[in-house]
Amino acid sequence: MNQSMNTTEASIIYNKPQKQKTSNWRRYIWGVLFVLPAFIIFALFLWLPISKGLLNSFYTVDFVKGNSFVGLANYKTIFTDPYVLQSIKNTLYYMGLALVIGFWVPIFFALCISEMRRFQGFARVAAYLPYVVPFVVLYGVWRWLYDPVGPINALLKLIGIDQINFMVDRSWSMISIVIMETWQSFGSAMLIYLAAVLSVPRDWYEAAEIDGAGIWQRIRYITLPAIRNQIILLLMLQLISTSQGFQTQYAMLDGGPNNATLTYALLIVRYAFVRQDYGVASALGVLMFIALSVLAILQYRSNSKGGV
Amino acid sequence: MKQHNERGIMSSYDLKRPITRWAYYFMNVLVVIMMCCMIYPILISMFNGLKMTAEVNTFPPTFFPREWHFENYVTAWNYIDLPYYFRNTLLLFIGNLIVVVVALGLAAYALSKMKVPFKNGIYYYFLVTLFIPATTYMIPNFINLKELGLMGSFAAIWLPAGANAFFLLLLKSFIDSIHIEIFESARIDGASEVRSFFQIALPLSIPIFATLSIFIFSTAWNDWFWPSFILSQENKPLSVAIKDFVLNARRLDMNIKFAILTIVMLPPIIIFLFFQKFILRGLHMGSVKG
Repeated sequence: MNQSMNTTEASIIYNKPQKQKTSNWRRYIWGVLFVLPAFIIFALFLWLPISKGLLNSFYTVDFVKGNSFVGLANYKTIFTDPYVLQSIKNTLYYMGLALVIGFWVPIFFALCISEMRRFQGFARVAAYLPYVVPFVVLYGVWRWLYDPVGPINALLKLIGIDQINFMVDRSWSMISIVIMETWQSFGSAMLIYLAAVLSVPRDWYEAAEIDGAGIWQRIRYITLPAIRNQIILLLMLQLISTSQGFQTQYAMLDGGPNNATLTYALLIVRYAFVRQDYGVASALGVLMFIALSVLAILQYRSNSKGGV
Repeated sequence: MKQHNERGIMSSYDLKRPITRWAYYFMNVLVVIMMCCMIYPILISMFNGLKMTAEVNTFPPTFFPREWHFENYVTAWNYIDLPYYFRNTLLLFIGNLIVVVVALGLAAYALSKMKVPFKNGIYYYFLVTLFIPATTYMIPNFINLKELGLMGSFAAIWLPAGANAFFLLLLKSFIDSIHIEIFESARIDGASEVRSFFQIALPLSIPIFATLSIFIFSTAWNDWFWPSFILSQENKPLSVAIKDFVLNARRLDMNIKFAILTIVMLPPIIIFLFFQKFILRGLHMGSVKG
């Protein structure tokens, strides 16, 4: 016994071709055992629900009486539901607003802070600070900040602007949410940009300056190209996360006022937990997956065509 | 770092021109305004917790309290059983961490350093899940947990925490960078695979596990939506308790509300301020290098 152990171990080490058949499973057994827990967890908690979602989209899910096959009825419900179109519009609006209001902010402040001669560390920490505040706390605090008699309206009054009902006004509700989310999370993106901006060699600016390039030109032709990769990466990440966004909308306004902040993902949640219609909710998920994959493929194609 | 103090995009020569210098001052002012915007909501909720209810509701709002009511924080502490919910949050964090370390650590180590049949296939089996957005199978996931009979228990959060391809990717790329010779010599010295994982790979991967534990901690502390549907009433973490009993409470005074919110927000802020160098470096390790 002892000797056979030794030979298998030797064959592991030296990879000798002889005796491979008998020791094959021994060489693999630990590797398999090590991978197995993660393999099972992924199967149970990712692949199983994913396939169930696909399957359930053709069923009416009932926990008591059991599921019953309904064919494409769930999809039919979706295409006749006016809320679906509205929620898609809202989601696109939300993604667009997040780009217009939020995307440039971390780049801008990364540039500013990289230029600061002193207190850079302070600015960095301050910008990141809201990111460590729990979401539920933010919801509570910002509800008060946005209050018609809250501090933001007090500030607006000071500079002579009429009271804005940030949460109740349909045209403001989504904007308010995007502003809050930008405030909360731009710090982490800024740190990534800042690291990239600071890693640009200083002599490049020196050389450009000697050649007569102005400050804007230096930013335009040196700094921005140098952080191009980070910009693209964070743009993709932001689009992916905003296309699925619903938690803030749900917690702050529950999709209101009058469904102005009802995003697509929030509609899924509503179908599932308010109407208990898990089949339609699963079908909505499947459609969302298809839409996002098509976008991803298109993006990938345009990227590879662009010769990047 | 030293070098960059000498010049940034602008040089000291640029700053000699008055327009540029004013623009530079203006830029600094903007950064200061930004910092104030960042810190104001945090400070104001702290101070609101010290005011009288009537003062919180005055318009325009005051910044510093007129009278300092420290007893608000005592009331807030007793309003809900904060230590109990904090314990639940902590349990979630520890359980998630253990599952990630054991399941994903072992798998990453095996995929990186051991012989595994169909290694590439298995690796893709894990990684492809990154491309399926979580929201699209959120509801089936809920149904699945119900059908597995895990609903309500901590296990419904702990076990799925291991199904995270992003963590696996980080772990594997870190373990990849450890030299294989270390493990080979351990094998020659007669160490079993289990032993070389726990006594060599794990201690050497402490930095990446520290990064992961930051992520896991912030998830456990922040996440409220998923736990509110999955966990039973007595297993709810702090975030869900705040959402249910504080944010949605109708008859709770504003000052007490702010005091509770402050109590909940202070621990992560203090941890962050104390360990910020370490945490920011750790997060940098976790960020994808573009």
